[in-house]
Amino acid sequence: MNGEYYGRDKTMLLARAYVPFQRIHQVYSPSEALEKGTLFPELYIPYDEKEKMLEEGKYYG
Amino acid sequence: MDREQKMLLKEIMEYSFALVETALYLDTHPFDQKALSLHNDYSRKYHELVSIYQAKYGPLTNDRMSGCPWAYINGPWPWEIEFDMH
Repeated sequence: MNGEYYGRDKTMLLARAYVPFQRIHQVYSPSEALEKGTLFPELYIPYDEKEKMLEEGKYYG
Repeated sequence: MDREQKMLLKEIMEYSFALVETALYLDTHPFDQKALSLHNDYSRKYHELVSIYQAKYGPLTNDRMSGCPWAYINGPWPWEIEFDMH
């Protein structure tokens, strides 16, 4: 039962913290980045769900 | 501070922030060609904008050379600027 819960592949160990490695893809324009607080769309995670919906933004690069 | 000066200053801030982002990314991805070229583009643009700004409006930072009188203290100070441009 415990085995199921923690996943079969055993790549994630208990009591370890993991941070996935970021890979650059598209980025916001500098003006949009300053407004959103990040250059990277994958890191744009506003607390306010409404704010998230407002503007998807233009990507370039 | 007129609108044109404000726009230029805002653009400098935008590129300055973008540079912070690419620089932090590159700290952990030093061989990422795409991030490097993005960073270099931003850097070129940033320094271009800073020279244009300083030629027109005076020093942005107090490590710049100055004629007499000392130009850095010419206003406005950052807290005197109304940034509401929308």
